[in-house]
Amino acid sequence: MLRKTFSIWATTVVASAALAATPVSAQELRVLVHNSFSLPKPMLAQFESESGIKLGIIKGGDAGEMLNKLILTRAQPIADVVFGIDNALVAKAEAANVLEAYTGAAATRASVVPLKGPIVAVDYGYVNLNYDKAWFAKSGLALPKSLDDLAQPAYRDLLVVQNPATSSPGYAFLLATVAGMGDAAAFDWWARMRANGVKVAKGWSEAYYTEFSRNGGSRPLVVSYASSPAAEVFYSKEKLTVPPTGNLFLKGGVMRQVEGVALVRGGQNREAAARFIEFMRSRPVQEALQTTMWMFAAEPGVARPDVLRHASEPVQFEDPASDLVASKGADWVSRWTRVVLK
Amino acid sequence: MGMGRTTWGWPAVGLALVPALFLGLVMLAPLWRLALEARAGASWQMVAELWRDDYLRWRVSWSFLQAGATCVAALVLALPVSWALARFHFPGRALVLRLLMLPFVVPTLVAAMGVLALWGPRGWISGWIGIDLQDTPWLLLYGNLFFNLCLVVRAGVEALGQVSAARVAAARTLGATPWRVFWRVEWPAIVPWLASALCLVFLYCLSGFGLALVLGGQRYATVEVEIYTLVAHELKLAQAGVLALCMALLTGLIALAYAWIEQRLAAPGRADAIALRPPAGPGAWCAVAGALLVLGFFCAAPLLAIGIRAATAGPDAWSHVFDEESLRAIWNTLRFTAMALLLATVLGVTHALAARRSIWLRAGAFLPFIVSPVTVAFGLLLMYPGWSASLSMLVAAYALLAYPFVAKSLGAALDVQPEHLTQAARTLGATPWRLFWRVTLPLAMPSLRRGMAFAAATALGEFAVTLFLSRPEWATLTTLIYERLGRPGAGNRDDALVLAAVLMLLSLLVFLLIEQPGSGRRDAAFGRAGAARA
Repeated sequence: MLRKTFSIWATTVVASAALAATPVSAQELRVLVHNSFSLPKPMLAQFESESGIKLGIIKGGDAGEMLNKLILTRAQPIADVVFGIDNALVAKAEAANVLEAYTGAAATRASVVPLKGPIVAVDYGYVNLNYDKAWFAKSGLALPKSLDDLAQPAYRDLLVVQNPATSSPGYAFLLATVAGMGDAAAFDWWARMRANGVKVAKGWSEAYYTEFSRNGGSRPLVVSYASSPAAEVFYSKEKLTVPPTGNLFLKGGVMRQVEGVALVRGGQNREAAARFIEFMRSRPVQEALQTTMWMFAAEPGVARPDVLRHASEPVQFEDPASDLVASKGADWVSRWTRVVLK
Repeated sequence: MGMGRTTWGWPAVGLALVPALFLGLVMLAPLWRLALEARAGASWQMVAELWRDDYLRWRVSWSFLQAGATCVAALVLALPVSWALARFHFPGRALVLRLLMLPFVVPTLVAAMGVLALWGPRGWISGWIGIDLQDTPWLLLYGNLFFNLCLVVRAGVEALGQVSAARVAAARTLGATPWRVFWRVEWPAIVPWLASALCLVFLYCLSGFGLALVLGGQRYATVEVEIYTLVAHELKLAQAGVLALCMALLTGLIALAYAWIEQRLAAPGRADAIALRPPAGPGAWCAVAGALLVLGFFCAAPLLAIGIRAATAGPDAWSHVFDEESLRAIWNTLRFTAMALLLATVLGVTHALAARRSIWLRAGAFLPFIVSPVTVAFGLLLMYPGWSASLSMLVAAYALLAYPFVAKSLGAALDVQPEHLTQAARTLGATPWRLFWRVTLPLAMPSLRRGMAFAAATALGEFAVTLFLSRPEWATLTTLIYERLGRPGAGNRDDALVLAAVLMLLSLLVFLLIEQPGSGRRDAAFGRAGAARA
């Protein structure tokens, strides 16, 4: 009986899977995105039906990994348009010559934040420290006033960061420290942080969901985003009105990230690609992405959802020169590995 | 080897061609392509440099050390546990054997959350006994055992099921104590099976993308992480290639040595399995209880913690299971698993049959574990850019990682298959095809099913497949769970835990369908009948 059930199940599944696995059409616009890309499905469907363009969204890992895949396959590009290359990566993309300039309306329109290179800015956000409000209230410890404070014995074993070699917020935070303090002082700080028990996690999810004290770990300070407290309210179970976490904007510990959309050199379907780029800067998308990707809109004058009032914007932040990052970034990461892990 | 035929007939070459072609197309060619890309920058000097680098040397040593420690611990724990499970029949035994595979399916991050719910700073057990295990090597070992104990226990149970009842009975009649019987009769018979499982455990721990890494933090990262970083984030293909090649050679030697040992140890047994008996007397009950306790402690407790956290997540999170997105993910999980399982079974069976005659093919079954998945992923991308986001590539990648389980499990069963049955069938004029269909396959069925169940588990938990390009419409339960855990908020966390619970239930159902309880007993009965006829 069970055997029969199994064979029937297996046959049905395989047969229907084979039917469902029809090849993608040639008319498809191939859009390469990073793993955090997220827009409401009806919005994408509406774009498809209005423009007659079939979208093939391809996820290529985190932003750095995605760019590397693009560079590796430049002889035979795997996409026509790419979303998610940011201010830290743009110089690397330009050096590898994988992007093509776009000159349409969205490229000439001003954006809230600038983004150099052949990329149209779509959104921006900040990588900074988050703290667990309940933990600090309970312990009575004052919040740190500077990165230097964190290296003091009072703050021993309290911070978790992501490995900059495997995580984009981890990389952004490293860039912020180097831009904010200069490389000599920055790596000295990292060495002191190592002595003071900084913990290194592989990626944002590991840090936030296994190390951060709010989620059962032991560290009340974590490298995250300025929008995370707002997301905590938005996704809260008991419908919070005040976020359980807060932002810490310390000098040398805040990095502004601006990401955008660009044409892939050697890609096809230029007209469709242009429509998609304009679509990404259109008002509905700009409004929606603020609570799906948790970034701020780059298009001026777009309404900010109410929940984002919990996402304070820092006055002071780092925005390291992209060409410097392109030439030195890898060195900084290996130096960081030497100082913090070896 | 033991089958007495060393000549390569056309059917054998044909059999070997299937897995060889697959491995060549999906693995070796992409690696070759990647090597070409890296060739420019690589040099012998880099190898020397690698070895001079203290940090890298520590990583290599640490990788081997933790893998070795896990193997020893797994063997010590699994031996008594599998003995109790293999000898005694108790209510729920079949279910326990299927449940054992669940750790394989649970996404690493969720498993880590389960472990920390017990042992973390605010964990249930650590709160109770006052010891926080986070940041200690014990938690790493615990994490490694959580994933790997099941592999060794399952192999042990099956191996002990193949021990000749007549030999054990003879030894007992001659006055040997149960202890002596174990060491002189049972142990030699099960060594090849255990070695096979331990070899897999070793390679798994070595490739270290596992739980231990999440629990231990980056200070305990293995060489695999180094390769991943070099390829995926720094695009230093030459360096990564040299490092990957060194590791492949080291692990390749292990696989080859293992294949040699296996071939030497493989001895055809007799098809008279020892019948399961209900536990009688306090000693037997203690053995069963002890086995369940060990499994409960290492494997079930973290799963239970996830289950409890999911169950208490509230109706909101559970109602999301019926969202279009979740239902689609469930459907994708099922169809990808079915497709991968089909391909993995074909590859595994042909590989196991062909590998009877070749030590290289035997070692070749470990190839997908020797080379790091990220290296293969980038090779595939370079080799077949047009196919990189196609469903066939996705399924091939799943099958590549899943099929060694079928090949190894079936291979071990073929090694001990009694010769007299095949000889009798051939004497009676059976064609090789008929021999396979009517004798070889039915005898090896429990092993094949076990291998298939593990292959399915690999596909359900989709080990490292996220490294390839993927499309949102292909989202499986695992990718959905990681997507939820990629955003802050208690709602997201609860959704992820609920989806993990759904994944576990679904997987259990699949395991029950592949390995139906009762089929093992039927096969054992067949074995006994065969022995009686012989």
